[in-house]
Amino acid sequence: MIFFNTKVNQQSWGIKQKASSSFYLSRKNSWLLWLCQCLNVAVIGLELSTWMLGIISLALAWQAHLLHQSRDSVRNKKQLKTAKQPGPRQGTRQSKHANNNQNKPVSPIILAVFALLGCLAIAITAKQVGILVSMLHLLCFSYVLKAFEVRSRRDFYQLLLLGLFVLAASLIFRQDLTATLIILTLLVLNLAVLHQLFSYQRKFVANVKVIIMLLTQSALLAVVLFLVFPRLSPFWQVPSAKSAATGLSDTVKPGDIANLTRSTKLAFRADFGQQAIPAYSQLYWRAMVLEDYDGRQWTRQKRFASNKIPGAKIKAFSFDVSKTEVSPLTYQVVAEPSYQKYLFALAPAVAIGDSSGIKAQAGYTFNSTKMLSQAKSYQLSSYLTAPFGVELSQKSKMANLSYPKNSNPRLEQLALQLQHNYVDVMSRAQAVLTLINKENYAYTLQPPLLDNNSLDQFFFDTQAGFCVHYASAFTFLMRASGIPARMVTGYLGGEYNGINDSQQADNTGHLSIYQYDAHAWSEIWIEGKGWLRIDPTSAVDPQRVDSGWSTRLLQEQSALNNDLLSLYQMKNIKWLSALRLQFDALDYQWTRWVIGFNNKQQYDLFKHWFGKMASWKLALIMAVSLVVTMAILMLFLHLLNQPKKKSRSLTKWQRIYQKSLTQLAKQGLDKPVAMTVNDFSKQVRRECPELAIVFTRLSASYNCLCYQPLSAAKQEELTLAMQHQYQHFIHAMKRSA
Amino acid sequence: MPKSPPIVDKVYASQQSISAILTTIEKVVFGKPKECRLALACLLAQGHLLIEDLPGMGKTTLAHILATTLGLSYQRTQFTNDLLPADVVGFSIFNNETNGFELHKGPIFNQVILADEINRASPKTQSALLEAMAENQVSIDGITHALPNPFFVIATQNPLFHAGTYPLPESQLDRFMMRLSLGFPDLKAEKQILLSPALRTNQSTSTNQGSNTVDNEPVITEQALIAMQQAVTEVTVSNDVIEYIIALSHVSRRAYSGQTAQANQEPNGSADEIEIRCKPLSPRASKALLQAAKAMAFIDNRDYVLPDDVQAVFYVVCQHRLEIQPNQPLGGNQFGASVAKQILDSVDVLNPFGY
Repeated sequence: MIFFNTKVNQQSWGIKQKASSSFYLSRKNSWLLWLCQCLNVAVIGLELSTWMLGIISLALAWQAHLLHQSRDSVRNKKQLKTAKQPGPRQGTRQSKHANNNQNKPVSPIILAVFALLGCLAIAITAKQVGILVSMLHLLCFSYVLKAFEVRSRRDFYQLLLLGLFVLAASLIFRQDLTATLIILTLLVLNLAVLHQLFSYQRKFVANVKVIIMLLTQSALLAVVLFLVFPRLSPFWQVPSAKSAATGLSDTVKPGDIANLTRSTKLAFRADFGQQAIPAYSQLYWRAMVLEDYDGRQWTRQKRFASNKIPGAKIKAFSFDVSKTEVSPLTYQVVAEPSYQKYLFALAPAVAIGDSSGIKAQAGYTFNSTKMLSQAKSYQLSSYLTAPFGVELSQKSKMANLSYPKNSNPRLEQLALQLQHNYVDVMSRAQAVLTLINKENYAYTLQPPLLDNNSLDQFFFDTQAGFCVHYASAFTFLMRASGIPARMVTGYLGGEYNGINDSQQADNTGHLSIYQYDAHAWSEIWIEGKGWLRIDPTSAVDPQRVDSGWSTRLLQEQSALNNDLLSLYQMKNIKWLSALRLQFDALDYQWTRWVIGFNNKQQYDLFKHWFGKMASWKLALIMAVSLVVTMAILMLFLHLLNQPKKKSRSLTKWQRIYQKSLTQLAKQGLDKPVAMTVNDFSKQVRRECPELAIVFTRLSASYNCLCYQPLSAAKQEELTLAMQHQYQHFIHAMKRSA
Repeated sequence: MPKSPPIVDKVYASQQSISAILTTIEKVVFGKPKECRLALACLLAQGHLLIEDLPGMGKTTLAHILATTLGLSYQRTQFTNDLLPADVVGFSIFNNETNGFELHKGPIFNQVILADEINRASPKTQSALLEAMAENQVSIDGITHALPNPFFVIATQNPLFHAGTYPLPESQLDRFMMRLSLGFPDLKAEKQILLSPALRTNQSTSTNQGSNTVDNEPVITEQALIAMQQAVTEVTVSNDVIEYIIALSHVSRRAYSGQTAQANQEPNGSADEIEIRCKPLSPRASKALLQAAKAMAFIDNRDYVLPDDVQAVFYVVCQHRLEIQPNQPLGGNQFGASVAKQILDSVDVLNPFGY
């Protein structure tokens, strides 16, 4: 209600002229605004470059300094005034005005120079950091600078709107529940600062309450719009921010995944519905298959990445369902935005249900057609125990046997030895695993550095490493000994969360797979059996494969003092862990139903409500419901503003007088509310002599009609006269104009 | 009740005497037409008048000329800090000849009593005036005596910061309809004052026990004055003006209770700027405001009240009821732009309850 009363009485306290031209923020409000700015920027701060953050914090500190200074000046002024002046009110007002002027000591030239330099820096770095981030830089920079010139009400609005825009922009990067809650809180804070300025309540908490109430009221509208508003696919691709890309990369060299395993960020979730979740050691989530090895690092084959082979989906890459008797395991995966294309699957799998936007790749992996800038949900059916890739083309067989000669001579030597000793392929692989198991190999996330990523050095000298090291060395050995082998990266396991499961059945619910579950393993191809997964890590650290992180590894991590450890420690505290699981379940639902609510689901919802229909009908329904919502809203607003007008039914003469006042206001002659009709007519006489006669007559008639006791006939007569006088007045106005 | 002529006629009939009274007053009090009209309005509205100013600004002169011009019995009492209530209202004294008690009437039994420097008397004496002012009667030794009609108290007071002054209690302040301040005369008026003969010298015999001195011819009779007072009460007040007055007192009450009315909010929200600190206006105050506005309209030759009249009397009627701490007057128009102005400025004349 407070918001809608746009025409609050224009009051004059004798400083009306000043008040309209200069805008005054009280000190408390200034600090609140400043706090808001800090928080808004902090939310998006992670995505900005360091130098930009530096500039922003510099500007904010400057702002704080100015605010602090203004307080001192007010205090000094007050002391001076009270010493001199007996009139307390007069004194404070003057000092406040003095303060008002003093509040903006920043000369526009300095600001302009500062802004120019900042823009230059943004422009120079634009190419390096990408368009999205540089636009964000510009946004945040202007947001911070705008605070230096809040001179009028318009500036204040602009600043607040910019703040809201910054908040919304931070949603580009994070949409999970935590981020949404933080942003919602900040939204309340921002709006409360706005409200604080106009409400009669001084207490900030009370204003926050009002805003929360208003937001709750408008939640209904938000829900309607959320369901009904057309889900247009974005007009442009959200450009990827480089720092935002998370997860696995498509090149892997020894030592790569270790960083990833320190991150507690969510990678994806998998929901198995009512089916039993397979054992931990079965949950090898494939993300990428790396077949090219150049002696230093593993990369995906170019032809897979481009994926231009027509009809490839069925013929070459996809698993043929008809040939297997294994019962499928169906599950839904909700991938978090990673700004990459790869998706996760338990091989071999086929996409079921709505498979738009998903493409099967060679190596039984799946890719999204677009970069994952939003959460993506898809359904898969996996045939876990079924063999796959039984037939291998000569070309890919060659590819999976090739390795740069003399890149790791000692390993090649060993391979030749193995090839000689073990004729059987399986026993050859087994021999390597035994070797790893028996020898003094260690599984550690902080292996000694390798020169040039040499596998030789790892395998024979340092003998300490983690999954990538072992998988690399193993794959290399296999290839060198004549077995087609390749490297697979992805995730292993996942955290079970049964909270969403209503029936409380065992082993149902969803799995949350975090970045620290990242893993690498290898596959070898055996004639007649197809690709066989072999995880050399299991030979070193079986616990890692069976149930996740071993205690020894965790101890090792404690030295690093990262949040992974604290997470694990938290798991030991029962209620905390329960709370975390609860939140995770909530977040899953949020991601699945709110973030993942796309046009397909919207269409399904409408179909559910209205039955099957043509898409144009659907569009019509959407349009109509939108229009109706808006109409209801407008009506609501209209009704809210109505009673104010209705409560005072204006008489005829009042209406005429008001009209003439509006006319005069257009000429720049405003009647202060406290001025009487007589006094105003005197003023008009002084300022517009050409209107004097007509307006004085009009005013006199108004006074008579309003305040004199008159008979009905006389009243009518006078009203008529007043109407004539109004006509004359209008003519006179036109003439003078 | 005999059918009285309509109020319009009464107003027109009185105009001559009113202008005569004003001319007479202005012959003595130079250069203060506005204050003279307000003082007259106060008497016509049957209110008591408090004149506050520095010594020697013509307070007593104004009070004196008002009394004499209207043809009323008049006595001046100089209030001092050892003045007792009996000195004001009178006392019973034993008469040897009649062998009984005899009432010795105090100065209060005059139609106009000039309580000079009222704030120099102790609060006890000050409150002796209270019953008289409110009820038009006094009690001496348990016997109630009616006071003459019309009855006015014209009090003068020195600014509070002067030595040896007691502040008037709020209850008594509220009983004064108006508080006037004369202020320094302008150059021309002061010249006139210096050139004019000392009018009051021959009547300055008036003391505590003074006689009723009449040196100026009364302009109107007592009956005419009572008729005029009656006519003032009959002046028409439209609903709009009533609402305006109510709105004004509402603003003061809201300000008092700490919530600044939304109407008082300046749109740019600088709440600190418009904080009004005042005492609330009592219904008696709004009644006084209405009455005084009626008298102003009457003096202005109108049979209906305009908001202009309300505004004209608002400062003198309300300022002393609103002030939390009396400002120290330094001569000049010290009651001008202050709390009363803020309140006045915050109410829309055309739409008093428009917030």
